[in-house]
Amino acid sequence: MPANQFLDISLTGSVTVVPPNVRSIEEDVDLFGGNIRQIERLKKTLGLNERRIASSNITSLDLCEQAAQVLLGQLNIKSSDVDGVLFVTQTPDHSQPSNASLLHGRLGCDTDCAALDVGLGCSGFVYALWLAYSIIANGSSQRVLLLAGDTLSRLVHPKDRATASLFGDAGSATMIEKREGAGVSWFRLGTDGRGSNSLIVPAGGARLPLSQETAEEYTDDDGNIRTKENLFMDGSEVFNFSIEVIPQEIKALLEYAGASKDTVDYFLLHQANRYMVHNIGKRLKVGLDRCPVDSFGAFGNVSSASIPGALAYELADQLSGKCKNKSSHQVVFSGFGVGLSWGSCLLTVPELDCLEWRVYEA
Amino acid sequence: MQIKIFLQQLEESLEGLDSGTVSETTVFKELKEWDSLAILTLTDTIDLEYGVLLKKAEIESCETAQSLFDLVQSKV
Repeated sequence: MPANQFLDISLTGSVTVVPPNVRSIEEDVDLFGGNIRQIERLKKTLGLNERRIASSNITSLDLCEQAAQVLLGQLNIKSSDVDGVLFVTQTPDHSQPSNASLLHGRLGCDTDCAALDVGLGCSGFVYALWLAYSIIANGSSQRVLLLAGDTLSRLVHPKDRATASLFGDAGSATMIEKREGAGVSWFRLGTDGRGSNSLIVPAGGARLPLSQETAEEYTDDDGNIRTKENLFMDGSEVFNFSIEVIPQEIKALLEYAGASKDTVDYFLLHQANRYMVHNIGKRLKVGLDRCPVDSFGAFGNVSSASIPGALAYELADQLSGKCKNKSSHQVVFSGFGVGLSWGSCLLTVPELDCLEWRVYEA
Repeated sequence: MQIKIFLQQLEESLEGLDSGTVSETTVFKELKEWDSLAILTLTDTIDLEYGVLLKKAEIESCETAQSLFDLVQSKV
């Protein structure tokens, strides 16, 4: 189990960009056989409400590029001053080259810069944060630009009730820098590859290339329709994994850091759905006001962008100094999902010069 | 484990049921909102109350509330 601590490295700003198209759960009434009561149950229990859908000409690269441009501008950092680019996505523009390379070119970064993709989903933001802290700590970089974005709405089948209403699209850009006096940051990461089949897009990779056969629709035991090119999710397996592993992981992280849950200002959990976030909060026995989840009802589950999205959507005032109650905050991030994989960290987040979300402008 | 308390917990977990609707002989599939969402909330309740994390297929293998009670009791 990788557990690390880092000294004097800090997250210094973050921007999330969502596409302009809003789709509400009410528009999915046909998917649920016209059952309005079912829609009400999903809204009440899971917190489904609205989600953001990218049109076919917008990719996670575009969303993240715009987020990066805003972030660099607000922080007054030149792209040539970035010496590491990490791009977390499961929906890259191409199987090669990497989105990180493409973004490096679009931003006009110096060639003296490391750039790579991280192929993870809902746990990816924390994993890439850990990588960013690692390459700054080992002296490879001074300033890392971390992009996290996905357009999962295009991978779900519109007639699959397990996924169609759940996922939205978003892209984020976050800056990580060496910062004297930033204090200690703590990380814990884990993987359980035995659960890899519970969240999977079976076709489209080298194992099962796209073909006529992979494009054929099939109906599963629950009456959901999809093809092998769509994202499949075994919701109950993923739920069980999350409630079994994540509360324990966060407790272990706090123990490793010698911190008490009472000194943590916010537990920013992957916005899988409201039920999941509240459930983990309950199991940790922390007030739900410290476990924000409203961004789920605004963006949907936006995979790797969900933690930075929630940070910007819910905590912009608190963390950017508009609420002058504290100069820094103790924040736990915890991401978990496809892999199965998970990562949690405890950070001291200073007053941020830039923390916002905005709508993509073509 | 007491069956009476267990039945009460089932009722509270399955949203939209009137009090006293669930008895030992209740057949889950006959409940009007028995679906994957109901199974999810039930999984959660049983785990929180008894520390038993059931798989979806295990819950589905129980026809009645009594058989689910027996299954949970065998694993406590």
